[in-house]
Amino acid sequence: MTALGYGAMVCVLILVGLPLYWIVVTSFKERPDIYVQPSVWWPHSFHPENYATATSTVPFWIFLRNSLIITSIISAVKFALGVFSAYGLVFLRFPGKNIVFLAIIAALMVPNQITVISNYALIAQLGWRNTFQGIIVPLCGVAFGTFLMRNHFLSLPAEVIEAARMDGARSWRLLTRVVLPMSGPTMVAFGIITVVNEWNEYLWPFLMTDDSSVAPLPVGLSILQNTENPSVTNWGPVMAGTVLAMLPILVVFLLLQRHMIKGLTSGAVKG
Amino acid sequence: MTYINRRGFLGLTGAVAAGAALTACAGSGSGGSSSGDSKTINFWSNHPGTSTDVEKELIKRFEAKFPDLKVNLIDGGKNYEEVSQKFNAALSGGDVPDVVVLSDVWWFNYALIGAIEPLDDHFAAAGVNTADYVDSLVSDYVFNGKHYALPYARSTPLFYYNKQVWSQAGLPDRGPSSWQEFDQWGPELQRVVGDGKLAHGWGNAKDYLAWTFEGPIWTFGGSYSDKWNLKFNDEKTIAAGNFLRDMIHTKKYAAVSNSIATDFGAGILASTIASTGDLSGITKNAKFDFGTAFLPAADGTPGCPTGGAGLAIPAKISDERKLNALKFIDFITNTENTAYFSQNVGYMPVRKSAVDDPSEKDYLAKNPRSKVAIDQLPRTRSQDYARVFVPGGDQIIGTGLEQIALQNADVTSTFANVSGQLQQIIDRQITPKLPK
Repeated sequence: MTALGYGAMVCVLILVGLPLYWIVVTSFKERPDIYVQPSVWWPHSFHPENYATATSTVPFWIFLRNSLIITSIISAVKFALGVFSAYGLVFLRFPGKNIVFLAIIAALMVPNQITVISNYALIAQLGWRNTFQGIIVPLCGVAFGTFLMRNHFLSLPAEVIEAARMDGARSWRLLTRVVLPMSGPTMVAFGIITVVNEWNEYLWPFLMTDDSSVAPLPVGLSILQNTENPSVTNWGPVMAGTVLAMLPILVVFLLLQRHMIKGLTSGAVKG
Repeated sequence: MTYINRRGFLGLTGAVAAGAALTACAGSGSGGSSSGDSKTINFWSNHPGTSTDVEKELIKRFEAKFPDLKVNLIDGGKNYEEVSQKFNAALSGGDVPDVVVLSDVWWFNYALIGAIEPLDDHFAAAGVNTADYVDSLVSDYVFNGKHYALPYARSTPLFYYNKQVWSQAGLPDRGPSSWQEFDQWGPELQRVVGDGKLAHGWGNAKDYLAWTFEGPIWTFGGSYSDKWNLKFNDEKTIAAGNFLRDMIHTKKYAAVSNSIATDFGAGILASTIASTGDLSGITKNAKFDFGTAFLPAADGTPGCPTGGAGLAIPAKISDERKLNALKFIDFITNTENTAYFSQNVGYMPVRKSAVDDPSEKDYLAKNPRSKVAIDQLPRTRSQDYARVFVPGGDQIIGTGLEQIALQNADVTSTFANVSGQLQQIIDRQITPKLPK
């Protein structure tokens, strides 16, 4: 059984690791090492100039700044909305609670692409095209986060919640002092998923932006590519840009992972 | 410490939920006339062939000639599909561009719904002389007797071949004169290249297989369609499909490649049909001598489709903006500028007079491979409606050809299925909108 587990781990490592390795290695290759058969698994000579090309051919640092602004604001808003709305659905009594939850589930079922045209029309009428608010506001809908956090809150031990209420904890205190401290791992998971999704968001920012002033990295880096005639593309700088775009997310993940594990190992009720 | 009671918290949660609902479901709106600064031209481009710097130079030249006009170059995406997607969204509301790049498979959809302007009524005012545009290229944008775009980044497929392999196979240094001749060469070329490589590679559906195989179908006497009349059940079209199937599955000297231009440049394919737009990339990538040739076709038979993109003007902008936009289109596609664009990007010059431009003459003398595309123009023909005018037609046809090439699917039944899908779209989406 252990061998099977290790075997599966190795398979996953290869499936995930190989493309990542290829991206990193290609980011140091010169053009002749990229367009060659058989494939070159280790560059004949390292070409770090690709990173300079990636950051100078396009206004990379502006795109990075934009990505940080967009991702941090959307993630913060989504996180707050997700936690508050899930708390309301689990711990507060009000009429039509199940209908609200069903509406949220229904929203989850609607692909983003369906709402693009109506969102675009509204944002354009508000004069928000090519602005941060035009990109951010429509992406703040939070059905997934509400669903995830609600299901987690339902799994919390009822006796702990009851004890807190008997101690006189009101809604705000119950949320901040009892519910959230017991929800570390789920919140971190929710945070990571949200940050990664927003960081990689392409379609909506692409439709909303006209220039580098508000365009995030995924939109900006596409300028380095030419998918009409792929042979024209110099993949070295494209991969260098991809590596640079991955790094901030990797840092966030590594920082949050520690808290995730810590949250998983800490018990809410001591025996 | 201030406590929030249950009612207050419910209120807060309700406000948050309402906000979330509003942001998730923005209301729809339809755009009326699009207002904008008439002295500013917004040019939406996907920068065909990685032409950002070239486009910026063309804009600089335009602004020098028309100092009262300003041009904003706006990134429309990384390919023709994305720029069309962005334009489509813009039509739903808000400001549309003044000039937009639309490819061969996109402009007609917008012309049909009245989203782009017929340009003929503005030609005189803008001083446009369409007679100097290459006939086969400018006629590609005619619908119902009107021009809906003008040619810009135009290409044709070329036959690319590895001269080294050709020499080893004892073949003459030229492209095949017909597909039948190439069918004789194929097995010998395959023997020379050996396992793991191919004598010929076709692109997949995403790599425009429906475009690159259009010429071969014509040389067999078939076609995808004759105007709106689909021809997939025609025995000559089926014969061309069987030719594709046999070269891959019976004679085994060809296959579908994931990236034809890249694989040819890497030496995996001994020959392929790829766009003129790929020429600069292949030239940089290939470590061997290669040639370009006309697509195989008997003399006098058009065996090559045109392709690439043109420039269109949205219908809902003001007449003044339309006029300025047309001046811009005319300027960046004039003799000198189309020659400059062609030399730096790899697409074809779109003006007849460009071949007499001194810089173009010099360029073609130094780059005979590029000259092949221009020399081939008289042997081109406008594409079949089924591919370029039917929404999604390119991918439907390409997927059908892919099934034949990858799965050894029966040609007759596959083409019948393709025909059925296309006919349904024509009946539902096109016929009701066609002028009576």
